[in-house]
Amino acid sequence: MGHYEPKIVCFSCKFGWGYLGDDAALSRQIKNWIPIICSGKIDSTHILDAFKRGADGVLVLGCPEGNCHYQDGNFEARKRVYLLQKMLEPYGIEKERLRIVLSTDPGGTQIPQLIKEMSDRIEKLGPLKKIKGKAALVV
Amino acid sequence: MAEKPKVAICWLGGCGGCDEAVVDINEVILRVVDAVDLILWPVALDFKYHHIEAMKDGEIALSVINGHVRNSDHKEIAELLRRKSQLVLAFGACACFGGTPGLANLTTKEDIFNWVYRDAPTVVNPKGNHPQPKVSVDGKELTLPEFYEHVYALNQVIDVDYYLPGCPPPPDLVVNAITAVLEAKLPPKGSTLAPHKALCDTCPRNKTKPAKIAISDIKRIHEVEADPNSCFLVQGILCLGPATRAGCGEACIDINIPCRGCFGPVEGVADAGAKFASALASIIDVEDEEEVKKSIDTIDDVIGYFYRFSLPSSILGKKDLKKTI
Ligand code: SF4
Ligand code: SF4
Ligand code: SF4
Repeated sequence: MGHYEPKIVCFSCKFGWGYLGDDAALSRQIKNWIPIICSGKIDSTHILDAFKRGADGVLVLGCPEGNCHYQDGNFEARKRVYLLQKMLEPYGIEKERLRIVLSTDPGGTQIPQLIKEMSDRIEKLGPLKKIKGKAALVV
Repeated sequence: MAEKPKVAICWLGGCGGCDEAVVDINEVILRVVDAVDLILWPVALDFKYHHIEAMKDGEIALSVINGHVRNSDHKEIAELLRRKSQLVLAFGACACFGGTPGLANLTTKEDIFNWVYRDAPTVVNPKGNHPQPKVSVDGKELTLPEFYEHVYALNQVIDVDYYLPGCPPPPDLVVNAITAVLEAKLPPKGSTLAPHKALCDTCPRNKTKPAKIAISDIKRIHEVEADPNSCFLVQGILCLGPATRAGCGEACIDINIPCRGCFGPVEGVADAGAKFASALASIIDVEDEEEVKKSIDTIDDVIGYFYRFSLPSSILGKKDLKKTI
C-alpha cells in the first residue's frame, strides 16, 4: 500500500493571512489553497463540497477574535465550523478533519506549517473510512 | 373520438400518503379521470405490470411516481415506466429527494437486517433466517427483490422531467401540475412545479422577526408551549423555513409546528441542510466558543434534523444508481 498523504483544502481570509507574502510563491507551496475575502464568506456548502471531492481535511483560517474587517465574519465562521463538525460526524468524518484557526499572519509563512500540522494529525487517523454503524461518505 | 392521454400513477418505496394526496384533490379527480386514461395505479386499481410492458415505448403521456428507490423491484418499475412514458413526474419528498426513508442511509444494510431479523426485542428467529434474493426450496428457485445498500431519490435511478415536492404534495399544487400537463403549459424540463421562494417569505410569522434574530437556547417543540403567532426561530425552536421551498401553504406552521423541510431546498440550492446550518449558525448569539458549543450541543441529531427529507440528495449523501449498477 502506498504512503497515505492527506489532501488538505485550506480556505484563508485575505485580510489576515498572507496579504504581504509572495502570492505566487505561496500558491506553489500550498496545494488546494483558496484565499477568500472574509472567513465568514465560506459557506457550509464549500466545506461539504471539499470533503465530497476527496479532501481528507479542511482548514479554515480567519482573523483574530474581535478583528474581523466585517465586524464578526470570523466568529460566524467558527460557529459554522462547529455545527459542520456535528454534521460530518455521522459520516465517520472525525472532527479533527475540520479545523478553524483565528489568528493573523501577514506573510503567510505559517500557513504551510499549519497545514503540515493538520496533515500529520490526519495521517494518524488514516483515510476516511467506514465506521461501524455509521454512514459512509458516498463517493 | 381522439384517444385520451394515458397516465400512470405508481408508488415505489412510498407510504401511500402520496397516493392519498391524489385522491385528496376531491371532485377534480372526476375531471381528471374524464380527461385521461388511467392505465396503472397499484393502490387503487387492478392493472398488471405486463400490460405496461406490452405497450409501445413512449405510449404513456405521463407517469406520476412517488416513493424512494430501495430495492431492485423499485428500480425495475421505475425503468419500465420511464421507457414507456413521455413525461415522468417525481411526486412527493421521497421521489424528489429520498424523503424520510432516506435517513436509513445513516445506517448500513447489515445493521438494518440485524436489527429487523435478529436484535429487535419482538423478533423470534431461532434459525437466524435472513431474506435472500434467491433461495432454493424443493428444487425450485424462489426470488425476492434485492435490498440495496442505499436509499435513492428517483432522479438517481431514471431521468425525471418534473418535480412536485411535499410529504405529501398539497392538493392545490397537485391540481396545478395536472392542469399544466393536460393543457400542455409546462415550464422547462427539470422544473419543480412549486414556488421558488423560501417558506419564510410566505409565512405569516415572518413579520414578527426582529431585524436581527439572536438565540442562545435551542429548544424542541415539545419542551415548550410555543407562542402561536411569533416566528419559531425567534423563540429558539428550530424551524427549517429559511432553507425550505414555499408552496405547502404553511401547513405545519398553521398548526403551531415548525417546518421540518418536506418541500426540500429552495430553487438553485443543492443542499438544504447546509443552507440551514449557515442560517442557524448566524443567529446563534453567544459570547464565546464554549457557549457556542453548549448551545449547538443541545441539538439532538443534527443531521437527522437538517436532512429529514433530503439526505439521499445532499452533497455528502448523494449517490447515483445509474452509475453504480
Ligand atoms: S413523500 Fe411522504 S407521503 Fe409521499 S410517499 Fe414519501 S413519506 Fe409518504
Ligand atoms: S423561521 Fe419558520 S416561523 Fe419563522 S418566518 Fe420562517 S417559516 Fe415562519
Ligand atoms: S411547513 Fe415545512 S414540513 Fe410542513 S408541510 Fe410545509 S414545507 Fe413541509
